Amino acid sequence: MAKKVLCVDDDPAVVVAMETVVEESGYTPLTAPNGEEGLRKVRAEKPDLVILDVLMPKQSGIKMYRELKTDQELKQIPVVIHSGIARRTFLRSQEALTEFGDEPVAEPEEYLEKPVEPEEIAETLKRILG
Amino acid sequence: MTKVLLIDDEESIVRVLFISLKSDGYDVLTAYTGEDGIRLFQKETPDIVLTDIKMPGMNGIEVLKAVKESNPDAEVIVITGHGDMDSAIEALQHGASDFINKPIRDDILALSLQRAQEKLAVKRKLKEYTDDLENMVQIATEEIRRKSEFLNKLITSSHDGIVATAENGEIVIFNPAAEEIFGYSRIEVLRKKTLFDLYPPDIAEHFRRALSQERGPKPMNWQEVTIQRKDGISIPTGFSGTLLLEGELVIGTVGFFQDLREIKRLEENLIRSERLAAIGQTVAGLAHYIKNILSGLKGGTYTVNVGLDKQDMIKLKKGWDIIQQNVSRISTLVMELLTYSKDREPEYEKCSPNKIVEDVCALMEATANEHGIEFIRDLDHSIGEGMMDPNTLHRSLLNLVSNAIDACIFDLGSEKRWQISVKTSLKDNAILQCDVTDNGCGMSEETKKNIFSSFFSTKAGRGTGLGLLVSRKLVNEHGGDIVFTSEEGKGSTFTIRLPWKGSRA
Repeated sequence: MAKKVLCVDDDPAVVVAMETVVEESGYTPLTAPNGEEGLRKVRAEKPDLVILDVLMPKQSGIKMYRELKTDQELKQIPVVIHSGIARRTFLRSQEALTEFGDEPVAEPEEYLEKPVEPEEIAETLKRILG
Repeated sequence: MTKVLLIDDEESIVRVLFISLKSDGYDVLTAYTGEDGIRLFQKETPDIVLTDIKMPGMNGIEVLKAVKESNPDAEVIVITGHGDMDSAIEALQHGASDFINKPIRDDILALSLQRAQEKLAVKRKLKEYTDDLENMVQIATEEIRRKSEFLNKLITSSHDGIVATAENGEIVIFNPAAEEIFGYSRIEVLRKKTLFDLYPPDIAEHFRRALSQERGPKPMNWQEVTIQRKDGISIPTGFSGTLLLEGELVIGTVGFFQDLREIKRLEENLIRSERLAAIGQTVAGLAHYIKNILSGLKGGTYTVNVGLDKQDMIKLKKGWDIIQQNVSRISTLVMELLTYSKDREPEYEKCSPNKIVEDVCALMEATANEHGIEFIRDLDHSIGEGMMDPNTLHRSLLNLVSNAIDACIFDLGSEKRWQISVKTSLKDNAILQCDVTDNGCGMSEETKKNIFSSFFSTKAGRGTGLGLLVSRKLVNEHGGDIVFTSEEGKGSTFTIRLPWKGSRA
């Protein structure tokens, strides 16, 4: 069975494009418009990789990332961050959360800064999922 | 030792008295004629002169006169013949301190000399006191001079212009800073001009009234005043002034003028640099937003290409939709930027606000229903037509309604039945009010503070962060405003208020 890739993004245009890239790369796309929905799908479908936008309403991207990286059952799912904010800013926001008492979290498997060429996403998927 | 000059033509008397005075401890000088006596007096300046009246040549009275003329402080005791009261009286009249009769008795002479010495002592004391007093007056005068000079320096070196006048308005103090502000020199103004010639009319008028009333001073609080300088240049100043009083009596006025040119210049610089900072922020916000659009366009073209390659019409359609959406996002952004950056006069025309509200609702209702949001119209149908810019209400209302929809969509994980209501009403027939109420996610205190900041958006990449700003600008230009209340988790109400000149339906 084809591997499953979950795309979480509040921009429907991005979701459609991602779906296409995932399909073209030979995987099964799953989608979610926000972090809460994303987490539900992760637990229900156990995808092999998550492509995640960080800047979504109500900080749901940042929260979902922490959840993914701290939950024992989800920890090993590779996460590709796909975001408009710089990698540096994202890592700093995670560090800040750590300073507030949360446990430190691992860095994402890949960080792609928007705008990203679809080909680059396809390559990333291949590299991680094989 | 007291010096005594003894003048007598009788040698025997001189000899006896010399010995007697010497033994009493005086420093004694002797002369046998009046002439010699005076010479000696002028040379030796004795304190006391003891002279016989009857002498050949210059007599005692003449000696007395000469001595008093030469030194009025010298004490003269005359020796008179027995019973010569007339001479004694004359001598006293000419300032002799005492007289003694011949034959001279030692005890009387001693007493007389003692009295003379006491008089001398008193005179010396008096002179000391007088000298002291003069000294003190001089010191006091010096002190006053120093103080007045100090005050003068204080006024002269003040960075503020100081103008003081007499009670008739005539200028009596005009410091260098005032010269700089008014463009007149001291010479041109002092005692030649009045405050009515120099001060701006309203301030001059205030002083005129204050000076003509006798109900105590009314200080003029700090205010910005523009001074028309002699050369015609306008100088912005901070002015304060008051009447000068001595007790109850008005003795003049004083005005303080602070040159604000430098401060104004700094203020302008600050505003300019703030504007540059704002432009910097704007560019950063803009770049971020455009990045998202670009990302959408790339995804769209990729999807279209895939659709073309595979002859997959569904993919093609999806990709094409993405491209169209992002093109329309660009045009929205450009329109908002233009509206935001350009001043715009409202274009008034006769129109019906309720009709505009209906149009907006019709546009947005489908989207709202898609997300399970109920749409409620609550229109005051008595509102007729009025003169207003339909565009202002249309665009700002569209913005508020789409914000309300987003607020419901973002209200994640709640079990609410979402509702958006749009209500129109007239306040006092003078203000058109349009409320957009939602029961969505509401706003945090932080968000409330920032909603009118440029490029502030809680919608991540989906909002330009300009919508509310543009709406408020449009409404402000129309003479109205936008106000809101919000509670986190409960929802928000935004209200557009516009001045209303129109009829009832």
